[in-house]
Amino acid sequence: MTADHPIIRVENVSFSYKVNQDQQIPVLQNVSLDVYPGEYLAIIGHNGSGKSTLSKHLNGILTPKTGDVYVNQINTRDRERIYEVRSQVGMVFQHPDNQIVATIVEDDVAFGLENIGIAAHEMRERIDASLEAVGMSAFRHRPPHHLSGGQKQRIAIAGILAMRPQCIVLDEATSMLDSYGRQDILAVIRKLHREGMTIVTVTHHMSEVAEADRVVVMEAGQIVLQGTPREVFAHQQRLRELHLDVPDASRIAALVHQEWEPFSPNLIVNEEVVEEVNRHVIKQAEASGT
Amino acid sequence: MSAEFELSRNITIGQYLPTDSVVHRLDPRFKLAAFVIMILAIAICGTYVGNLFALAICIAMFWVSKIPLHYGLSGVKPAIPFIIILATLQLLFYGEIARGGTVYFQYGFVTISSESVRLVLVSAMRFVEVIFLSSVLTLSTSTTELTHGMERLLGPLQKVKFPVHAFALIITIAIRFVPTFAMEMEKMMKAQASRGADFGTGEWWRIIRRTKDMLPIIIPLFNVALARAEDLILAMEARCYMPGASRTQYTHYKANGKDYAALIISIFISVIMLYIPW
Repeated sequence: MTADHPIIRVENVSFSYKVNQDQQIPVLQNVSLDVYPGEYLAIIGHNGSGKSTLSKHLNGILTPKTGDVYVNQINTRDRERIYEVRSQVGMVFQHPDNQIVATIVEDDVAFGLENIGIAAHEMRERIDASLEAVGMSAFRHRPPHHLSGGQKQRIAIAGILAMRPQCIVLDEATSMLDSYGRQDILAVIRKLHREGMTIVTVTHHMSEVAEADRVVVMEAGQIVLQGTPREVFAHQQRLRELHLDVPDASRIAALVHQEWEPFSPNLIVNEEVVEEVNRHVIKQAEASGT
Repeated sequence: MSAEFELSRNITIGQYLPTDSVVHRLDPRFKLAAFVIMILAIAICGTYVGNLFALAICIAMFWVSKIPLHYGLSGVKPAIPFIIILATLQLLFYGEIARGGTVYFQYGFVTISSESVRLVLVSAMRFVEVIFLSSVLTLSTSTTELTHGMERLLGPLQKVKFPVHAFALIITIAIRFVPTFAMEMEKMMKAQASRGADFGTGEWWRIIRRTKDMLPIIIPLFNVALARAEDLILAMEARCYMPGASRTQYTHYKANGKDYAALIISIFISVIMLYIPW
């Protein structure tokens, strides 16, 4: 994967919000990060760690104070080419209601396409395909306020997909949803990722993090931990200090490991715990000669 | 008590009701033009029969567009106090201006004549007609169609630098958020009521008190509206929206026979309304 060019390259980015004339709140400090094609990246951190701000830099919604962000070699400061940046990196936000512009589902999906100047006949094809991809074809003529939160988020994803991006950034896109809605969105994300879409998800649901290829942990505007979910969740103590949870599976595995050495502490999904338990049960059975 | 908080159920503007009638399928440009013509005719027509005719047409519109009439009536209900206030004021103060006809009653500055009574009744009818017509329009036309129609009709103004598209988008978004805010307000009323706030128990004539009662809802509602607006801007920008940039349009309208027919019928109805002498 590292042989490829990164889709998104974040170089030494710092950012601060201006409170008033002489007071600034630093939000990001010298953050560097590469996102590679086809990758599933999760960004975690507690509230105010800068993870959302970082995600808003990925398609030029915010531009860094210092440092640069490149999307396929295009600097996000380049306002002339911001269309290209934003159609390559799509973004789904937290609140399902606040990203729908139109009063009919298909018109909302068309909104982005109208903005980038796609011809009408091509729009129809793309809208069909993207509503199909999120499983919302049956709802295309519905008004959005009759949909559930999860369905609205799927529409928001369809609106992004229609623009044929290479990467989708989800900025806590599941945090306002009930667990059914969240499962729906995760299924869509999983499917898109399997089909080659690059996914960046900002979340504090650790079960979502376990599915990612790589996890970045933010604290006070900096990246403090990075690695595969297994590597990151191995640092339970450190994560606790950062007020972050670990998946239930990891916690259980670690507790059992404390009590009983041979049990592997490094498990992140529920199925692994079941397997590990089975493995030990079988071993015990064999040892006792039955 | 519960019905008091059901706001989103009472709002008809911006709620498209897809029944797939002939009215729904009209080209929005033509529908809008016909609507404007009818509204103008209603505004000008000052006769009883003309207005009764218009009222009959408006009710018939519900039937033609397969929309239950109670949708229109629920739009009229909140307007009743205004209609009554307007009627009272007109009855008291318009007698001097709308002179003529038989004088029924005179005391001091109050003159009630057949002319002022006519004015009162006609205004009340106009009110209802306009509400009915706009309900049919908004229930049978998605707001996107509406704004598309408006955008196309206003298109020529672009030549004098009028930001037609931005204007259309502002209206779409405003309408799109009406049900959202109604729901939001419902939630806030319930939240405040559950903490002992008191809506609607004050006597209706104590207007100041009743207005003050609404403050704990209005202020958070503004707050939420601003937060939502901020989110919406981000979401729009993330989807490449640039104010003033050229865009393509997904929907293309092609007028056919029924659209021209609708326009001609509306002109015909208007002419009848204006020429009815009573």
